[in-house]
Amino acid sequence: MAQRILICDDAIFMRTMIADILTSGGYEVAGEAESGLQAVERYKALQPDLVTMDIVMPDMGGIDAVRAIIAHDPNARILMCSAMGQQQLVVEAVQAGAKDFVVKPFQPARVLEAVKRVLGG
Amino acid sequence: MTDLRRAKYVALFATEARSLLAGGRRTLDAWRDTPADAAPAEELFRVLHTVKGMAASLDFTALAERVHAVETTLSEVREGRRVADRGWLSLLAQDLDDLAIRCEDAILAEGGDAAAPEAPAAAATRIVRVDLERLDRLFEALGALVTARQELDRQAAADALSPVARAAQALGRHLDRLQDDILAVRLAPLAEVLERLPPVGRDLARQLGKDVEVVIDGDDLEVDRAVLDLLPEPLLHLLRNAVGHGLESPDERRTAGKRPIGRLTVQAHRDRDAVVIEVRDDGRGIDRERVAAKARAAGIIEGDDALGDDALLAILARPGFSTATELTELSGRGVGLDTVVARLHAVGASLTLTTVAGRGTAFTIRLPTRLGIVRSLVTGVGEERYAVPLTHVRELVAWDPAATRIDDGRTVLRLREEWLPVLDLRRLLRYHGAAPPTERPAVVFEANGQRIALLADRVVGQVEAVVQPIERPRGMPRWITGATVLDDGRPALLLDLASVV
Repeated sequence: MAQRILICDDAIFMRTMIADILTSGGYEVAGEAESGLQAVERYKALQPDLVTMDIVMPDMGGIDAVRAIIAHDPNARILMCSAMGQQQLVVEAVQAGAKDFVVKPFQPARVLEAVKRVLGG
Repeated sequence: MTDLRRAKYVALFATEARSLLAGGRRTLDAWRDTPADAAPAEELFRVLHTVKGMAASLDFTALAERVHAVETTLSEVREGRRVADRGWLSLLAQDLDDLAIRCEDAILAEGGDAAAPEAPAAAATRIVRVDLERLDRLFEALGALVTARQELDRQAAADALSPVARAAQALGRHLDRLQDDILAVRLAPLAEVLERLPPVGRDLARQLGKDVEVVIDGDDLEVDRAVLDLLPEPLLHLLRNAVGHGLESPDERRTAGKRPIGRLTVQAHRDRDAVVIEVRDDGRGIDRERVAAKARAAGIIEGDDALGDDALLAILARPGFSTATELTELSGRGVGLDTVVARLHAVGASLTLTTVAGRGTAFTIRLPTRLGIVRSLVTGVGEERYAVPLTHVRELVAWDPAATRIDDGRTVLRLREEWLPVLDLRRLLRYHGAAPPTERPAVVFEANGQRIALLADRVVGQVEAVVQPIERPRGMPRWITGATVLDDGRPALLLDLASVV
């Protein structure tokens, strides 16, 4: 069965792009969230195999969402999506429990590699 | 990325970047009242950050860099290295306008956002994107159903209590719902177009050394996607015109006892089955005398009568008139008022003008909310029927041969104080059947700012005409735009009066 992924990003553009990349790699999109708060709620409701998490979002940023999800499920597998120049925030996210990160603009091969890595580990 | 997928992302970018930047601009305007507040800076940062990410994903490198530069400026305030004072905030406002315009340029360079998906509704709902062509096919099928139903209703009318009649009624109710649902799918909010106007207006004003406040109202109204798609051009034209010619310089305004900042309102509201959009400025108004003098010199009008608003618009909308005089001073973009009026007329929309010297000018666009179904007046010539869109029709009068004369080889009809050119449908259609009835009606219509009396044999009535495309044999006049099936099952051809003239 295809592994199910929850996509969290405040931009429809980005969610569509990530969904296209993941679907092309044979994954299933379990759901989408457009804020940190929604990400936490949807995680609890959908129990996805992996979460892609944007950092800058309204109503609770990505890093706080990582903390809340890890508090709920310490084994949650979260992949951060960051922009250039956000190294400091990525480090913070990884300390909070995120497993790996990819940098925007997305290159499909890199994203799929990272997803595979996180799911395999 | 394939072209098709790229087009999809460009369309997503167009919708989302526009809405984010317009929202950012509102955040900024509110921030001016509470400069010490930190929340607006965070919100604006998020807006810029998102736009930058999208731009970079589409390889809009120059745009992404420009957004990044504005983001950097903003971070000085976010990190407490700078205070958000008045001057800084207005520079930021200029930056946001500039970004909005650069986004439009980037979208345009990709061939526009024609593949724009329907605006997404609430985030929680699942969204399916459907291209407009498929919807159009659904819509055509619906048109055929509506026509078939009219025939069924006619058959059933013979005995209203028969089982067939009851079945026809039930079918009718379902069909009404289906029609509403299909039409609703095609709806998109006016905001998609109206939100683009303020940055363009402010930017142009700055280039011309003017200051303008652009107020948008009624942008939550929804109209058919096809109607929405034809709005940007006329609205941008009217906006540029208002800022370029309507509004005075701050000095002139002060001298006239006005606020130095000009005000431009774009206000939309629904009026029965039409959407009305008014573009109003509080500038100097159009100089009637000057336009009249120019028109007289060009031989367009005679006599010394003052020009009414309608006559004024008719002159300004003449091919080449406005473009040849004032509008060329504006940045080379866009088309002339003549083209704007012609395009609006082609879809059954109208444009009117009100102007008061020293007080300002208002242009009003009146649009059908949906294309494809046109309220029409059905006229007859011999046994044939012709439908004309009601948007153009002003009044019906009885044809009185005593009130006509030949003027310069053309028949004109006297209507109150005015002599109207007469267009006889029989001659237009080269109808050679039975002789005309002794009493004939004249349909007074207005097209391209000109009033004309259309002489028919009779008026049959009004219909909601479902427009059906027709095969066009060689030599068919371009003013026959389609066909519709009337209640009795017989066809009528649709005439586009604006292009007859």
